[in-house]
Amino acid sequence: MQVYLPIAEMSVDALLLLGIGFGVGWLSGLFGVGGGFLLTPLLILIGIPSPVAVASGANQTLGASVSGLIAQWRRDNVDARMGVVLLAGGFAGSALGVQLFAALRRAGQVDLAVALFYVVVLGIVGLLMVRESVRAIFRRRAGIAVAKAHEHTWLHGLPFKVRFRKSRLYISVVPPLLVGFGIGILSAVMGVGGGFMLVPAMIYLLGMPTSVVIGTSLFQVVFVSANVTLLQALQVGSVDIVLTLLLLAGGVAGAQFGAAMGTRLRGEETRALLGLLVLSVALGLLYDLVRAPENLFSIGPVP
Amino acid sequence: MRRLAALALAALLGLGAPAAAQAPGAASTPQLTADISTDRVEITTGFTGASVMVFGATERLIGPESGEDVVIVAWGPSQPAVVRRKVNVLGFWVNGPAAVFPDIPGFYALASTRPVWEVLPEDVRRAARLGLDALPLRAEGAQAPAFRAALLELKQQDGRWQEYAAPVALAGGRLFSARVSFPDTVQTGDYRVEVLLVRERRIVARQELFLRVDRVGTAASIASVARNAPLLYGIACILLAALAGWLGSVLFRRS
Repeated sequence: MQVYLPIAEMSVDALLLLGIGFGVGWLSGLFGVGGGFLLTPLLILIGIPSPVAVASGANQTLGASVSGLIAQWRRDNVDARMGVVLLAGGFAGSALGVQLFAALRRAGQVDLAVALFYVVVLGIVGLLMVRESVRAIFRRRAGIAVAKAHEHTWLHGLPFKVRFRKSRLYISVVPPLLVGFGIGILSAVMGVGGGFMLVPAMIYLLGMPTSVVIGTSLFQVVFVSANVTLLQALQVGSVDIVLTLLLLAGGVAGAQFGAAMGTRLRGEETRALLGLLVLSVALGLLYDLVRAPENLFSIGPVP
Repeated sequence: MRRLAALALAALLGLGAPAAAQAPGAASTPQLTADISTDRVEITTGFTGASVMVFGATERLIGPESGEDVVIVAWGPSQPAVVRRKVNVLGFWVNGPAAVFPDIPGFYALASTRPVWEVLPEDVRRAARLGLDALPLRAEGAQAPAFRAALLELKQQDGRWQEYAAPVALAGGRLFSARVSFPDTVQTGDYRVEVLLVRERRIVARQELFLRVDRVGTAASIASVARNAPLLYGIACILLAALAGWLGSVLFRRS
């Protein structure tokens, strides 16, 4: 069934959009990531113009994350205090990131910069996650107990200590602020919510337990993607609500199934799977950059 | 279709032909009469592209024997485009030189009883812009002819520029009709259809028809709100998405 998208100015098969929404939503519920890093490339692949794909992807991420967040909230897996701190850093970071994006656009190579950002960031994050989680799985198999929940580094000597009860942490607010800030920059440049970077950052940099990481990252993603949606609607006018709602119709169903399944998986298995997924997206994008294009020429609207 | 038949009949009988163009010194019977099946293409929520029928009649017989030919050409609003060429830098394919075409039609379709290069000399084709090779594709930036070739190829691939994509059908030697198909990516705006009568390598009669492509219904309201009240639209998008997410979590609750 074909549906006309008023902002993208083209018609697309509604079932295809529902299917993409369901698949991405399922992953988002399972891993606690918004799925923007998967959705945006997929939409561009089926021919949606990239500004519309980025903006509507952010809008869809918002809806899917609300759905996922509610599911996680019911299970009491959200550290709201940590979420607010991350968000404060995130808003500052994304404000800077938008400026960086504008500078890249002036330099004329925004496509390449975004693709390279994706490959480098996704590649590193994916590799780290796979390596760590495989190690953890082997350790568990071998029956070696891990002595400490997280290691104490210089990060823990910083001032402004706050107790994050849900995360069972008593740390300075500076590291979470920095994490939020850094991910805010990256998410503005890459046009994603940033959950796939936030999840490993919270586990490895902040030492939060996996159980609250997913809910807390969804909390942050909801607000960051709402911010991106508003900015895109105001500045570019490329949010397609019909596209968003179709993706969401599939996505919210998928997210609930994913969240239910996520509770049955062990933390390290979830992380290994997410790591593999992130890594394969990075490799796919890298392949796109290095393979000889079918047509050397491309056509686009005048910017 | 009923309208089409009635108008064709009227044209044949020489009655009430609307705004028929006449060559200088022609007899009172118009040499060419044409009309279009609709003057409005509506983009609704279920729009998947549309086609309109251009039809009409001539005074004399059309065909190689009489040397008369009919050419139908449709134009969309101007739509600037940029063509980029990828270059290999350190193993990566990146966008290199670009050519900007500031004034090219967003839509162009040509149909005729015989290819225009057979029936009209080049200067006439260039002046009337008949045929993709006769379009003035002025470029800014990179000037290599490969950019023009790429523009022609890419535009034809996505159906926005068509040359002889649909035939001009003849009936009874004097009635002609052709379909102009618009892809689902068609721009909104005013479109112009020109019907030309060609004899002895000259254009002897021409008639202009107009149609408008418009969004209607939900698609139109969404697009106009997004353009005129972006703040409101952005907030509505956020609330709608959040609502859909919440609704989904209630409907599909599995715990």
